Amino acid sequence: MIFGDKTTGIIVQGATGNQGAFHLDLMNTYAREGGGRGVVAGVTPGKGGLVVHGVPVYNTMKEAMKEHDAGASVLFVPGRAAGDSIMEAAHAGIDLVVAITEHIPVHDAMRAIAFAGAEGCTVVGPNCPGILSPGEIKLGIMPSHLFSRGHVGVISRSGTLTYEVVDELSRAGIGQSTVVGIGGDPIIGQTFADVLHRFEEDAETRAVVLIGEVGGHLEEEGAAASDIPIVAYIAGVSAPPEKRMGHAGAIIEGGEGDARSKIRRLEQMSVPVASKPSEIPAMIRNLL
Amino acid sequence: MKLLEYEAKNIFENYGIRVPEGVVINNPDEMMIHLPGLGPDVVLKAQIDVGGRGKAGGILMSDAANAPNTARELFSRTIKGVPVAKILVEERLPIEHEYYLSITLDRSSKQIMILFAETGGVEIEETAQKDPEAVRRAIVNPLLADVPQFLLRSLTGSAPKEISTVINQLYHVLVEKDALLAEINPLVTTKQGVYAADAKLILDDNALGRQGITVNRDLTEREKEAELHGFSYVELAGSIGVIGNGAGLTMATLDLIGQLGGHAANFLDVGGGAGRERVCRAVRLVAGMPGVSVIVVNLLGGITRCDEVARGIVDAGVDQQVIVRLAGTNETEGKRILEEKGYLMLDTMEEAVQAAVEATE
Repeated sequence: MIFGDKTTGIIVQGATGNQGAFHLDLMNTYAREGGGRGVVAGVTPGKGGLVVHGVPVYNTMKEAMKEHDAGASVLFVPGRAAGDSIMEAAHAGIDLVVAITEHIPVHDAMRAIAFAGAEGCTVVGPNCPGILSPGEIKLGIMPSHLFSRGHVGVISRSGTLTYEVVDELSRAGIGQSTVVGIGGDPIIGQTFADVLHRFEEDAETRAVVLIGEVGGHLEEEGAAASDIPIVAYIAGVSAPPEKRMGHAGAIIEGGEGDARSKIRRLEQMSVPVASKPSEIPAMIRNLL
Repeated sequence: MKLLEYEAKNIFENYGIRVPEGVVINNPDEMMIHLPGLGPDVVLKAQIDVGGRGKAGGILMSDAANAPNTARELFSRTIKGVPVAKILVEERLPIEHEYYLSITLDRSSKQIMILFAETGGVEIEETAQKDPEAVRRAIVNPLLADVPQFLLRSLTGSAPKEISTVINQLYHVLVEKDALLAEINPLVTTKQGVYAADAKLILDDNALGRQGITVNRDLTEREKEAELHGFSYVELAGSIGVIGNGAGLTMATLDLIGQLGGHAANFLDVGGGAGRERVCRAVRLVAGMPGVSVIVVNLLGGITRCDEVARGIVDAGVDQQVIVRLAGTNETEGKRILEEKGYLMLDTMEEAVQAAVEATE
């Protein structure tokens, strides 16, 4: 557990929207099954006083934090307002914001991450599926039935590709300690390096699957800065240059950030790199 | 979205950065009207989004008398496959020195990064490789309204003082225009002062709306149509159409096609909540691409309803073979619907991709 556990109270920002309400309920179901505290409050400006799936909704983070003990917020607020909501949560004193929202203008996200950092608040995402520590806590939208508890950490810039890999691991009998979707945007609150450092400190985690993709150099930088055993997979070997591959951050620019050069650099650091997701379970078993 | 040089220069000028006197022409005849204001020597620059434009023949020098002929010559050229529709004609500056200035977003520090070198121009990449120290770097906290003086001093070294002003002006361009990159290479000094001889500006696609831009010009017609439906879409050149949910999974599907010897025709990420109508539209869009002989649908999600997806695929009713990998809720029902109509549904993405590659062999 590197971002929270059963004792962590959760606030959902954007709790009254379709996505927010739907996933609030799923997060609570997960908490109930595992004996966790789950979602203690929701926040939507102007909707204070409503109750969503049994959870009270407040107008502001400050009010919600005054009434409830919470350690993390999960954010579903739409793109243009999301940066502001991250800052509101950080200012109200929350320790962690998990920003699920896609299409946040990158300058908004960058400013919000800097502001949160100055307030002592960690941001995961944006444009991410969240965090799941099997049997402990679900902060986000990951499909929990694919997960099983164990000692492998997973860090990924992608959503469904993470589920694919987690499914492969669980089917092979390899459980996960914590699975973190760090997000598909160019500027994200927690990079591979940041999360790898947390895994190093985590007694539950013995090895990590790092799932990267084209764009930037965060995969290589993370692996270089960490000494925990890693198996990597990099998506986008066939991605053409200068084209955004679905994620705002998945783009080979000016000859930088292509998959082959990432794979080469990882292999130079003696990090084993899987050529397809189905190879990952056997490779990670070698490291356990 | 990438702006063209003249568009970027207009914006830079609004922020106080000096640019050469110039006009944009759409045909050689327009040249005559504007020539008198540009001095004895001019530079003609093709307004196209192509890297290495100068070396590829997209920039020509001329004296005023020959300028119309030079313009005619440049309009007739195709630069790396791109026809020349607009030319920026500028006065030729008496350059004393060339610098390099670039401001971008740094993924590692999650902050703004300024790069400055005392030798600019087309060789900057070589310079950076040979002597990394030559390109100075400063990281700026995005909460700051201006670039602090101590950082400006660390960047500019022995360069003239006016350059610090330009760095700060370009910083404002980057922040206020929601840009991913703002670059001046070369930034030049003349006896009259400092000028942006070239200009590059890339805007954040997620902020185009608030910048008053409604159409992303970087996209092809089919990519625009896909965007209207909320899909992420990239055209490639092969024969296997690809539909997936999630950028990473869709990329992994393309990679697997390549590893097994096939060629993908496209990348299409249907996004979250792939329902009946969205899937139907996606299948039709991909089937409408020339040269697509088989389509792989690879959808994985906890909340994706397989029966709905299956109905969407059947609704699309396209001529090409559609091979499906579906995992989510109501899988059995989805499989029944597809198999009843003769579609192939497989359990893993490797099996699905293998079947598609074999179908194209």
